[in-house]
Amino acid sequence: MRKFFSIGLVRGLIWQMVGTALGIGILTGIRLLIGLPVWKAESAFVFGALLGAIFFLYGVGVLDDWIKVASGKEIPEHIEKSTLGWRRYFGVSLDHKVIGIQYLTLALVLMAVGGTFALIFRSELTETGMQFLTLMEYNTLMSLHGMVMIVGILIGIAAFMNYLVPMLIGARDMAFPRLNAFAFWLAVPAGIILLSSMALGGFDTGWTGYPPLSARAPIGMQMFFLGVSLAGFSTILGSLNIIVTVIRLRAPGMIPFRMPIFIWASIATSIISLTATQLIGLSFQMVMFQRLFGMGFFDPGKGGNPILFQHLFWFYSHPAVYVFVLPGLGLISEMLPVFARKPLFGYKWVAISSIAIALIGFLVWGHHMFASGMAEYLRVPFMYSTLLVAVPTGVKFFSWLGTLWRGKITYETPMLFLLAGIVVFLFGGLTGPPNATVSTDLHLTDTYFIVGHFHDTMFGGYVFPFFAGIYYWFPKMTGRRLNEKLGKLQFWLMAPAFIVLSLVMMKVGMLGMRRRIADYDPALQFVDENQIMTIAAFLIALGVLIFFINVYWSIQKGDVATGNIWNSRSPEWQVPSPMPVHNYKIPFVVVGEPYDYGLPGSVYVKFQEDPLHGTSK
Amino acid sequence: MEHQNKSSALQLGLLVFCSLAVLTAVEFVLAITINIWQFLILIALIKAGLVVYYYMHISRLFEADVDTNHESYAYKLSTNRIGLWLFLLSDLFIFGGLLLSRINLLGLTRPELGQLLGLAVTSILLISSFFANRAEISMEYGDRRQFLTCISATIVLGILFLVGVVGVEWRLAPFGPGDNIESAVFFVMTGFHAFHVLTGVVFLVIVLRNGIHGHYSAEKHWAVEASVVYWHFVDLVWFFFYPALYLIGTIAQ
Amino acid sequence: MKHVVIIVILVVACTFLIHTGLTNIGLLPVEASAQSVEIDRLFGIHIWLVSALFSLIMVVLLYSLIVFRRKKGETGDGAYITGNTTLEVLWTAIPLLAVIVLAYIGGKSLGIIRLIDPSALQVKVISGQWFWRYQYPDYGVTTTNLYLPVGRQVKLEMTSNDVLHSFWVPEFRVKQDLVPGRTTELRITPTLIGDYKVRCAELCGASHAYMEGLVKVVSQGDFDKWISDQQSAAPMDPVLRGQQLSQQLGCINCHSVDGSEKTGPTWLQLYQSEVELSDGSSVVADDNYLKTSIVNSNLQVLKGYPANVMPNFADLLDQTEVESLVAYIKTLK
Repeated sequence: MRKFFSIGLVRGLIWQMVGTALGIGILTGIRLLIGLPVWKAESAFVFGALLGAIFFLYGVGVLDDWIKVASGKEIPEHIEKSTLGWRRYFGVSLDHKVIGIQYLTLALVLMAVGGTFALIFRSELTETGMQFLTLMEYNTLMSLHGMVMIVGILIGIAAFMNYLVPMLIGARDMAFPRLNAFAFWLAVPAGIILLSSMALGGFDTGWTGYPPLSARAPIGMQMFFLGVSLAGFSTILGSLNIIVTVIRLRAPGMIPFRMPIFIWASIATSIISLTATQLIGLSFQMVMFQRLFGMGFFDPGKGGNPILFQHLFWFYSHPAVYVFVLPGLGLISEMLPVFARKPLFGYKWVAISSIAIALIGFLVWGHHMFASGMAEYLRVPFMYSTLLVAVPTGVKFFSWLGTLWRGKITYETPMLFLLAGIVVFLFGGLTGPPNATVSTDLHLTDTYFIVGHFHDTMFGGYVFPFFAGIYYWFPKMTGRRLNEKLGKLQFWLMAPAFIVLSLVMMKVGMLGMRRRIADYDPALQFVDENQIMTIAAFLIALGVLIFFINVYWSIQKGDVATGNIWNSRSPEWQVPSPMPVHNYKIPFVVVGEPYDYGLPGSVYVKFQEDPLHGTSK
Repeated sequence: MEHQNKSSALQLGLLVFCSLAVLTAVEFVLAITINIWQFLILIALIKAGLVVYYYMHISRLFEADVDTNHESYAYKLSTNRIGLWLFLLSDLFIFGGLLLSRINLLGLTRPELGQLLGLAVTSILLISSFFANRAEISMEYGDRRQFLTCISATIVLGILFLVGVVGVEWRLAPFGPGDNIESAVFFVMTGFHAFHVLTGVVFLVIVLRNGIHGHYSAEKHWAVEASVVYWHFVDLVWFFFYPALYLIGTIAQ
Repeated sequence: MKHVVIIVILVVACTFLIHTGLTNIGLLPVEASAQSVEIDRLFGIHIWLVSALFSLIMVVLLYSLIVFRRKKGETGDGAYITGNTTLEVLWTAIPLLAVIVLAYIGGKSLGIIRLIDPSALQVKVISGQWFWRYQYPDYGVTTTNLYLPVGRQVKLEMTSNDVLHSFWVPEFRVKQDLVPGRTTELRITPTLIGDYKVRCAELCGASHAYMEGLVKVVSQGDFDKWISDQQSAAPMDPVLRGQQLSQQLGCINCHSVDGSEKTGPTWLQLYQSEVELSDGSSVVADDNYLKTSIVNSNLQVLKGYPANVMPNFADLLDQTEVESLVAYIKTLK
């Protein structure tokens, strides 16, 4: 029993419950003291949830060191002990590899939850009429599917960036290990608060939370706003850490254009998420204040402007989609050379293309608002800037083709997922221009075409590369391989099913099926297509289920894989698997290019001693 | 910039403060006479530039590393500086978003606020920045006593600012948060800013306490530097919020 | 070199194949407006681009995956090619040029669909949760069905009574959001006589999926006849008119007539009952009370019900309509 309560996560959750109750009580007490009507559920729950999150962080133990510093005590330089075992992952660890795996676990949980919501409402949509969901339940599940997946993606890319970045640059850990742990643990209560919206009446606005509708939605709306604000704060702190780590902790000889390409992707991603994320927080908090204090920012009756919300919101949320895909596209660029046994074609151009996408991405947000009623003269400039993003994106595609050309290609599971990523992201990219040109967008916006477009870009730029990365680096994490047969089965279930899903989405969208609808008119004759989409969704889910089975089985019984199984030039594969606790006990120096496969005698990193047979631990 | 000695550093701090004070006075006079928003923004930018360069010593970010050993104190200090500035960069986006919202919602109108009170709290914050700078310089030259006095002065003035804005201005305002769009913008901008002033005061109190217990030295006082730089940032935001709320435009009818 | 020849042939073939496929599976609804003709023309350009680019990348990809796969027993790495500056410049500059041209074409297209006809028919559109209402100021007619004369541009001046909505008839292609507190404009020139549906295209709450209405495009003669029918329609019995309004304007979405609990208080037995307001005071729900509730609802919110949810109907209804609603409510005993 004592052992159970010593687990960080358990303590955190208990403290969160205490904090929530206390917050509700305090707020009610304050109302009593200042003479307001005592019970106001919305204010009480918002304050309670916020205090609950803070208490969670205290309870899990991630604030302990900082509290010590504040009270003037010394905290020793953290030396991670190499204790193995699953318990390490349920409490505070300052090791970026542990944190990376914690992020990964949370990401998979969120993906499973968000995906389940989709299965539920896709089942509802198989027939016209409402079968088993109420309209509000449908809207809540659909909205949460969106936001839970988005938070899941942010957590998933944090997993890869935190796990890989120090390894790839030869660092022992991130620049700020305690901040790293804090950022991870903040995401846990954030996710809980987000999901608690279901218990407080849900909300009916979609993941975009537009007022005026969000200003009058049930209390669940506030949990949505608060949960996302906290998750956003977690992202900001995480990206700060990535940027500083890459600037300050690279191995000798690792000049910028000799960094692994995933580092460039991580920098580009982190530039966006460090800065733009504040705007979604601000826009959500302004609606929270409108609801709590009557401040009419977006209420025309009080001189407010509903379209201002959209500007603030999309100023983040468009660059956010590049946050979602830049790491995955970086993973493709990182792994393709290994499986093609050829250099990454045009490495410098690919590196710059990530930065270019990030920067141009700040200038395109208005394309989500072509029909919104925003100032007319803004539409054409945003069309130009939006189409411009295609250029650096094209550079990446052509580089991948150049990398494969005249390679010696093999088709292990990671490679299959990389290829699925490329093909599906191609679908996503090609369906961009019709959305970018204003007149066609006026037909397409708010239809299933858009839904198809962004599912393509999300699966192509994140989901498939994400699975590729897991299959590829799983041995590095555990010393074992994931099962190839199950991996290929997962691939052959997910990839074709998803392609069918997104093509059908785009078709019905063009023919008139709006998005975010709980029900559709039988006269439109979309029933068959909806049934196909539902079946496809379940096939994708089956693929994910097989993945979970694969992970569970392989952790214990997978083929042992302690060496450089992919024959990669990258530094992390020059040391044994699982990755040693301090990464590189013997430091390395960068002496060559990262992707010079096919150049006889070339070396990327040189260890000052033999890393496999030098002093261990 | 390398100072020759403590007194020249303190003199520079005083000179910068006087410049800021003069600019604030000019700003105020311009606002009540010709009220051209471009001039007011220009003054705000000049004040911001002075604070960023002299008080927040941004040039330290670009100094070459003396010690390239990643584990050394000097190297970690530079790393911490970059981290702090990235945090401030991120925070800037919130305040930027608030300013843009104010422009979108209010245009060239502004809420009806007490000018004397506005000038008073602005001056208090400015003087607190002066003392914060002084405190940091004292610590850099190992003058513990002066450091403690100046940090305490900063804290007192910071609390006074909060009293002035949240305690007095918020009470005296002839409007509540939900009344109209000017009031909503006023409360959200001053609220976000006051929250940052409050956290700044908390950091400074922690630094004061630890300073009293002798935790900082001329060689190692990162917490002092960080909390002071954060404090200057908070003052810098007010350089823009003050004209945005009190000075630019005409009172809404 | 032989690789390149094969690939070029395959890409060209594939492009035509895909283009033919995409243009023959009926991806777009019938063109029923002048705007849709222009938009479909631009879609046509996009479909060529998609076919060509998809073919280019997929053919090269699949070709490489087949031709350059590691054969059994083969060891060693691939060819040592790190890049090709000429290619990089080409495949940056050409797409750059292409997107600028496409954007220019897009701009021209936008101009065409936004062409202003100064003699356009003016219709005011008011939306709310979850209804559409149309006013023809030239004729003094208010309806819930949108009748449009074929071949004549209509200028929709639109607003919302509560949250964001969006006006969309897929056959007309263009859509435009309706925003509370401001008027947005949409110009459509219907070209095909027929019955269409407008469906709200911006999530607006629980019944968003069902927020639809009839849009009827008719000949000029039929339109004139319909207008005169509307104008000379005998005034309805106030109670019946009130009941009709309560359905058309979505009142009954929040106020039940049978006593059941909804977002707002039930109308059953409301009239002349004693009600408690949110500030604790008690009033009798008389005619004045009912009228105020409709035109200035937040002035007197009932205890236990949320404020700031019921929209203000002062601008939407005239005096007679308000009175007919009150008359209807009075009958609910």
